[in-house]
Amino acid sequence: MQSLITHSNFRRSILLFASLVLIASVGAFAAQEKTRPMIAVIPKGTTHEFWKTVHAGALKGASESGVDILWKGPAREDDRDDQIKVVESSVSRKVQGIVIAPLDEQALVPSLKEASTAKIPVVVFDSGIKWDGRSSFVATDNRRGGILAAEEMGRILAGKGRVVMMRYVEGSASTSLREDGFLSTMKEKFPAIQIVSSDQYGGATVDSAYRVAENLLNRFADLDGFYAPNESTTYAGMKALTDLKRGAKVHLVGFDASEKLVAGLRAGSIDALVVQNPFRMGELAVTTMAKVIRGESVPKDVDTGCTLVTRTNIDEPAIRTVLEPPIAQWLKE
Amino acid sequence: MSATNSLTEEPKWKSTFKRLLGPSAALCAVILLFSLVAPESFCTLQNARTLSTQSVVVVLGAIGMTFVVVGGGIDLSIGSVIALSSVATALSIRSGFGWGTAALIGCFVGLMVGCVNGFLVASARLPAFIATLGTMGIARGVAKWLANQSTIYPPEDWTSSLMAKNPDPAWLLVAPGVWITIAIALALGFILSRTVFGAWVTAIGSNESAARLCGVPVVRVRWTTYALCGLLAGVAGVLQFHRLSGGDPTTANGKELEVIAAVVIGGAALSGGFGTVGGSIVGAILMAALANGCNLVDWNSLGRWGVSPETAQTLSGWFGSSGIPNYVQEILVGVVIVIAALADRRRHR
Repeated sequence: MQSLITHSNFRRSILLFASLVLIASVGAFAAQEKTRPMIAVIPKGTTHEFWKTVHAGALKGASESGVDILWKGPAREDDRDDQIKVVESSVSRKVQGIVIAPLDEQALVPSLKEASTAKIPVVVFDSGIKWDGRSSFVATDNRRGGILAAEEMGRILAGKGRVVMMRYVEGSASTSLREDGFLSTMKEKFPAIQIVSSDQYGGATVDSAYRVAENLLNRFADLDGFYAPNESTTYAGMKALTDLKRGAKVHLVGFDASEKLVAGLRAGSIDALVVQNPFRMGELAVTTMAKVIRGESVPKDVDTGCTLVTRTNIDEPAIRTVLEPPIAQWLKE
Repeated sequence: MSATNSLTEEPKWKSTFKRLLGPSAALCAVILLFSLVAPESFCTLQNARTLSTQSVVVVLGAIGMTFVVVGGGIDLSIGSVIALSSVATALSIRSGFGWGTAALIGCFVGLMVGCVNGFLVASARLPAFIATLGTMGIARGVAKWLANQSTIYPPEDWTSSLMAKNPDPAWLLVAPGVWITIAIALALGFILSRTVFGAWVTAIGSNESAARLCGVPVVRVRWTTYALCGLLAGVAGVLQFHRLSGGDPTTANGKELEVIAAVVIGGAALSGGFGTVGGSIVGAILMAALANGCNLVDWNSLGRWGVSPETAQTLSGWFGSSGIPNYVQEILVGVVIVIAALADRRRHR
């Protein structure tokens, strides 16, 4: 009885696939030749708004320079092994170029080396990597961003007070530069400001960062400033400050600009945001790769700049274009 | 000791074969489908090398988990143990040990956690789910502590070929880590299906009190299954270290669920008493192939099979031009797990 069921099932599935093969082969080999080069663009994740903005910029860069892009992030957000898998499958797919924001400055090196052995050029963006085989590095000068944040924090607090710095994730190069830049500037320029905690990691998700921020605020009842080095930690800091009703006393300087953060800045929950230009980063990363493919020479490092946004300058036109890049125009979602 | 086929009176190999038929057919179907949809990227030697290297960690975990699950238990600590072992390996290499010694240390650390699990479940008689949930947290925390919350990198001049997709003696074809995994799979597959120990594990999983009455040393056998699972997670951790070329304390987060899924897809009964090493490996490779293939699909290349450009456009419109997006992949794996569980349920009815 049992064997009958299994057998008929098995036969049915064989039939199914046989017919699938048949249908498929009817259309003969009518593959269109692709003329535009295909570039894989590999972010660290796909759900953060930051990456959506990069995506929109990358699409703009692609249409400017006549290439197609393949936008593919790691299946599990922020998972190094999964990002390696995406690089590997891009190599298998024989793309003409790989543009990547590496999750780790070392773990991605072997797979990128393999890509370059397979004659696929690599442009690294957003975060650095310990490998000089890349064609170019397109990124915000993150240390400079940390310095901007520290100077603003020092100005707001008038050179004295107690400040917490909540870190992002262990081993993320871009955010650790922002953390280092902040800490060293604080130490040099504002020796009277005490950094009461700088060793807590918020983690990859808003959820985990939120919990860490709450714990930090509970631990330090007497606090004047809070610094967070990326979008998710800034949002978590803002949420925790609002929930615990500490926003009036604690000044929040954060990083990146999403809709929620800009609204927070306008509402006064955030004092200042250091804003990168992810749209421009995506655009420059792709156009740089397009140049590499065309055989033009490109600079080893491309700075995409960062800006300090406060309540006073938020409506200046130059700031507005950074804050509200034309995402909808490029990303039809 | 043929607890599984007492009703059907079939020879054991026949029922095992039938149990393996479903997962194997599914794996073949997936491979065939992707070979059609992405022929010049999926069906290549290079991709086979890539896919096998990518599956190694989950396959090793699934082999260990098979013993635990067949014995009626579960081990949630696998992902954390992989991270702990990879950190231990990295630290050993950094403090000057050779890679062989470091690998032994990594495996030993895994074995130790496995022994703790074994003690908690078999001797202290805690529910396996709770006990290993505890060691999952402990192992993850210890890994982060040892690694000082960041990735431990070996010295700059240190290179590894254990997980190199293009191995150094080219006749190896796939990474040495893949061969190690195959050897372990053959040995443990033999032990589970052909030895007295394997029969004991099955007996405990089918009916513990009956097994005890028959004279099976229940505590010792159960203990061994957890120790073995820990040891294999340790081996997986060593290989994960070689793959990432660094000991990352946050790696393999949630891997235990992937491993359990592989075991279930492979036809094992989560209630214990049945499961094969081969089935679990098929389950693990099936999931890896789904993930790999979804990354490779290129709608525009469907034109070769007579799909009109308009249809390709529509597909791109639904799913985006980047092949099959990650969320579809997650849904697919979920569907496969549910189907596998349904098949298992029908067998038991």
